[in-house]
Amino acid sequence: MIDDLFLIEKYAYRKSLVHNLDARVKIAVTFAVIIAIVAVPYSTMVYPVGGIFFIFFTALWGVSGLSPIVYLKRLTMILPFGIFLVIFQVFFRNRYYEAFTTIATLPFGIEVYAESVEFASILLVKFLVSVSFIILLSSTTKTPDLLEGAGRLGLPAEFTLVLGMMIRYLYVFGYMIRKTQQSLETRCFDPFDRSLPYRYRLEKLAYAVGTLFIRSYEQGERTYVSMLCRGYGPKSHIYIAKKSMAVRDWAFLFTGLLVAVTVPVMTWSRLLPYA
Amino acid sequence: MHIPDAFIPLPQGAVYWVIALVFIALSLRWARKEMREDRIPLVAVLAAGIFAIQAINVPIPWGTSGHMMGAALAAIVLGSPFAAVFVLTLVLIVQGVLFGDGGLTTMGANIINMGVIGGFIGFYSYRGLFRLFRTIYPAAFIAGWLSLFIAALACAVEMAVAGTFPLELGLLSMGLYHAVIGVIEGGITAVAIYLIHTARPDIMAETPGVPST
Repeated sequence: MIDDLFLIEKYAYRKSLVHNLDARVKIAVTFAVIIAIVAVPYSTMVYPVGGIFFIFFTALWGVSGLSPIVYLKRLTMILPFGIFLVIFQVFFRNRYYEAFTTIATLPFGIEVYAESVEFASILLVKFLVSVSFIILLSSTTKTPDLLEGAGRLGLPAEFTLVLGMMIRYLYVFGYMIRKTQQSLETRCFDPFDRSLPYRYRLEKLAYAVGTLFIRSYEQGERTYVSMLCRGYGPKSHIYIAKKSMAVRDWAFLFTGLLVAVTVPVMTWSRLLPYA
Repeated sequence: MHIPDAFIPLPQGAVYWVIALVFIALSLRWARKEMREDRIPLVAVLAAGIFAIQAINVPIPWGTSGHMMGAALAAIVLGSPFAAVFVLTLVLIVQGVLFGDGGLTTMGANIINMGVIGGFIGFYSYRGLFRLFRTIYPAAFIAGWLSLFIAALACAVEMAVAGTFPLELGLLSMGLYHAVIGVIEGGITAVAIYLIHTARPDIMAETPGVPST
């Protein structure tokens, strides 16, 4: 996952209408859409809401000028655990349906239910919409801007300071991991090579992890000393300048919140039809 | 073990958030009281370290790969379970907001599982086991294993309460899977502590009842 950091940063530093928006409004709209889709009950009502949210996402992704391949690449990195949970739903009865209709019987008496397939698809829609907006947020907003935006929205100073330093060190760790992996590869070491004893592979990996930890800590100390030289003290905090929002930021915030609120309400009141 | 958005209904997610916020507030109090100026780089680096450790794919005997949690390591090295809450909250914010690993509405539940349960189980089992064994490394190993195993069981219970995964199967699958991954968690926790003890014993906080060197 840490390798993705460089990929994410590469796309976040581009310029577009979406990239140029204030981080605060992007954070607010992302949270609003995710809360809205999660708030929709586990019913077929999710389909129209999810569909419109996804069209909204697609429009924003199009305006951002990023390739659909970038989205698909990032999506495939996130999917595994969620997809595992979705796929297994088809074999279980759940409390959201009263009656279950068997549509297929597999070996060992495993049954697939129509209602469970529907429930799995509902979870998938919710999951995909949530993940897509997170991908949009992080692919179009630089991490320092995200941090400043979160700080302006009220994230406590202790968190912004440590989070800022943590993000900086993530890159240090990222480079170190890359170097370590290259070093292991040049010595023909593959942790997934089954011809090597398992304990040996684990031991080498554990030493690599421990070494990375200490090296990063020592890097942290050097950074700390240089920070002291520049006047760092217990009262230090990240300075976040006040920033007013442009008309386009307000417009995006208004549109985003309008979509996040009105689409589920209209669907719930049957103004948007669903089966 | 990161529960994504959609797998916990919003009201339940809100309850987990409230509980998590109580622990986050306590961890902030710990940070204000205990985290001296010179500890800030340590906590920040440790958070990045835990993030990196969680990102490393470790082979599992039957062929797939897993990853570590690191809560026990953070709690043991910094000498407080609230350190794990603080560090894991930072890690989960970055994972959830930047990478989409875990969710926003489920972040409270994930903080409870990995930060609170992982940190408290890891820290107090380490202390208790040290008194029993009188040596650090077996205590760190078992504490690492327990922290992951119990957190995974909590995750299975939360998903069962949410109605998105059956309890028995969740406990069985999550329990078995993490019982094995827990061996790796415990092993790497013990080795990392061994390395820190050997190379930089000054980094370690002195845990009550446990000598740092």
